[in-house]
Amino acid sequence: MPEMIACFKWVIDEAYIRRGPEGELDLSSVNYKISEYDRNAIEEAVRLREAHGGSVIPVTVAAPEAAKGVKDALSRGGDRAFFIADEAFHDLEPSQTAAVLAEVIRSRIPHDLILCGEGSGDLYAQQVGPRLAEHLEIPCISFVQKLSIEQGRLIAERKVEEGLEVVAAPLPALVTVLPDINVPRIPGVKDTLAAAKKPFVTVKRDELSGKYEAHLATLLVRATQMERQCERFGTQPEDVARFLESLRKKGAIGQKGG
Amino acid sequence: MAGVWIFSERYEQLLELLNAGRRLARSMGTKLSAMSQLDPEKAATLFSHGADAVLVLPPLSENPSLDAFIPVIVAEVRKEDPDVFLLSATLRGRELAARIAARLNTGLCGNCIALEIDRDDGALRMERLVYGGAGLQAVTCSSRPAMASIPPGTFEPAPADGEGKGVVRTLPAPPPSAVQIIERKTKTSRGTDIAEARVVIGVGRGFEKEEDLHLAGELAEALGGEIGCTRPISAELHWLPEEVCIGLSGLQVKPDLYVGLGISGQIQHATGIRSSKWICAVNKDENAPIFAVADFGIVGDLYDVIPKLIAALKN
Amino acid sequence: MDFKLSEEQELIRSNMREFAAKHVDPIAAEIDENSRHPAEVFQKLAEGNWLGIPIPQEYGGAGADRLTHVIAVEELSRSCASTGFTLSAHVDLACTPILLFGNDQQKAKFLTPMAKGENLGAFALTEPGAGTDVMAATTTAALDGNDYVINGSKTFTSNGPVAGTYVAFAWTDKEAGRKGMSAFIVPRDTPGLRVGEHFKKMGLRASQTSEMIFKDCRIPKENLLGQPGQGVQIAMTTFDHGRMGIAAQSIGILQAALDEAVQYSKERIQFGTPIARHQAIAWMIADMATDLAAARFLAYYAAWLKDQKQPFSKEAAMAKLFASEAAMKHTTKAVQIHGGYGYIKGAKVERLMRDAKITEIYEGTSEAQRMVISGNVLR
Repeated sequence: MPEMIACFKWVIDEAYIRRGPEGELDLSSVNYKISEYDRNAIEEAVRLREAHGGSVIPVTVAAPEAAKGVKDALSRGGDRAFFIADEAFHDLEPSQTAAVLAEVIRSRIPHDLILCGEGSGDLYAQQVGPRLAEHLEIPCISFVQKLSIEQGRLIAERKVEEGLEVVAAPLPALVTVLPDINVPRIPGVKDTLAAAKKPFVTVKRDELSGKYEAHLATLLVRATQMERQCERFGTQPEDVARFLESLRKKGAIGQKGG
Repeated sequence: MAGVWIFSERYEQLLELLNAGRRLARSMGTKLSAMSQLDPEKAATLFSHGADAVLVLPPLSENPSLDAFIPVIVAEVRKEDPDVFLLSATLRGRELAARIAARLNTGLCGNCIALEIDRDDGALRMERLVYGGAGLQAVTCSSRPAMASIPPGTFEPAPADGEGKGVVRTLPAPPPSAVQIIERKTKTSRGTDIAEARVVIGVGRGFEKEEDLHLAGELAEALGGEIGCTRPISAELHWLPEEVCIGLSGLQVKPDLYVGLGISGQIQHATGIRSSKWICAVNKDENAPIFAVADFGIVGDLYDVIPKLIAALKN
Repeated sequence: MDFKLSEEQELIRSNMREFAAKHVDPIAAEIDENSRHPAEVFQKLAEGNWLGIPIPQEYGGAGADRLTHVIAVEELSRSCASTGFTLSAHVDLACTPILLFGNDQQKAKFLTPMAKGENLGAFALTEPGAGTDVMAATTTAALDGNDYVINGSKTFTSNGPVAGTYVAFAWTDKEAGRKGMSAFIVPRDTPGLRVGEHFKKMGLRASQTSEMIFKDCRIPKENLLGQPGQGVQIAMTTFDHGRMGIAAQSIGILQAALDEAVQYSKERIQFGTPIARHQAIAWMIADMATDLAAARFLAYYAAWLKDQKQPFSKEAAMAKLFASEAAMKHTTKAVQIHGGYGYIKGAKVERLMRDAKITEIYEGTSEAQRMVISGNVLR
């Protein structure tokens, strides 16, 4: 019966972000939530448990305020959780998060399968999953939209530019899941109340041996395009081309149209 | 040895990265190397686009899963020690970039949309979007190499204006990946739910008759989008069903791209498109309120503009 | 003092918000237009234990506190006041009296399936000639062997057309005055009970309301709720709970009105600037936000008192009175802020304004609330 780890991140709900008068991000009245993509990861683990038994262990690295997120993850079907929490874990970059997760998972959480969202709702760097797989030296399958365990092997459909690939990998393995893989259940009232009684282990920074230094330095974070650009174009073919070029630059359309 | 390296498994993206990379290489006074899985003839074509060297990854016979190359790429990077390593942020590329960065114990600016060398300190400044596009983050990397994955289409392809000479070197073949590809399916499914669509084309009163809506359909086809409309189109004219009416009393859409055709942009409708990432408009009335809520507008007759857009997109 | 909700309450609020945004927002206008009971939504609410939040788990509920229930009604009503009220009427007016006054058998037989959401409950007290004046009721229940035989008619029974279980009131001893009315649990399929067609209403149109006609409606004696003659007390205690539900519903409406007004006033340009920058509009929004905060504190306080097992009758009446009048007042303002667009069918504020009006009327009119409150204050 598979032991499954679902990694999740407690992120700012971007719907609450405002643009400050100086173009800064106003985070003064934000709420937090489990990153949407990670809800898919937890849900998929719960589905696999329904099919194969085993257990689902949500794990997060976060500042201590994320305790509510641990309850939330347990209410979504986790059996027990690991909460790697420290004041020092505000604003970790993906490389640090992955390294911390790797140390805790390697030393304390037996696992057959690790599930992550394809990226986080705040940074969307899409690195923690693949980096974690490398640290643990296990196969990594990214952007998965269908997943099953068959005869002890993982069978996954992963999305690629040309369509999709059906792949197989031995366990233990790590997958990152796309939102299309499932529709996460909204926890019922009993689920939330029961979560408060489920066990979770808190791991503190000083219980870890790694250094976890950052590689990236953030120079600035500012608000973008909360206001519209209001650029105008004419109708000559070259105007139309410039118009499409602007869209391409913004990533609104791909290289070949949509 | 220093240098700027680029990697993509796709030729189009190689050209885009060459464009980004050669700008960097020039301002750093260093060489530009491209890495990809392509045959040596095709590899040689990269020289005219600005590559100084091409590292060819050999074909994989048994199992084509691209991640088999990670150890080869990592070994090469360790040996050659480039300053900067750019990968295209295709789906495969994003995974590869993160895994390579982990093995190299360096930082990676994922989904980087702009990068430049700081004139003062020579550091590579990389920008990316955060919080679902609400914020922009600029970072530098203190480890070597500085890595970034760059979404397809972020840069123009590099023009073929170089000397066209350089060294092609083929790297050793790796053992196959633990991830075995069983089957490949090339079909792409298209959703029909406009509330979830990535591209939405909005139809307004600027269309003179129902038969003309095929123009919107063709544009939607070209952009891979779905069609929605303003209230008068569905409620009064019944040209399109109520289910696709966008606005205060209809749907709220949140596509990456919204294109309003012949839509004046009354608040009623504008309210429904507010959450779109990018809003475009085509309207012949330059005072139409839609332009105030649009990022990019074309002031012109939709009957003239749409065919031009379709032609340009197909080109 | 502690104004902080528990983590569970916060999570449950955001789960209900997500539920309502996903399952209720998309149909709210349609069920209003068609006066349709969204049975499919109630099926899903049942799956998430939302239909029995404050009912103990041993009786099929979720076993949370009253405040959690109030928060859920508020969030649901923010998307659709009808749906929020249907839930409130089921829990507050039907499940609650059985929980408080029912015996073990009644709780097992009737409350448990209700709290699980297998069938909805309704509260049948009001009669054509007896609204606020409960004593003017004429429905009777006569003991005949091991049965009570109920005759009479009820009106404005919320959930009437969709309920499976009714808590109905009838005189067992008219001469005994306030001590002569009794409460009964009446299953839907009881012969002699006819549920009328649901009324077309100005607002709250997706909430189903009907007449109930009892003609020689025979129910076993064990369906008597509480003691003979305890009916008025049961009704009044039930209303204390129901009023918290209406306060929660009103807060949901008010929050929705504020959301709409804020969004619209930031986008609507007049005289070259968003109307939110015009002081006349900005002040309306300030008043709206202030009354919303006040209403919310009153309602949460009443629920908190209930959860602390302290008297809360006066506070529930205050919460209901204040929240419902604030909802009416400010949904009108929200329509005003939207101008002509707010008067068009399909605009959410138009529905909010129609839905708000009933909150000043049912489960005790504003005037009745003032009677309760002044009765407490002038004691």
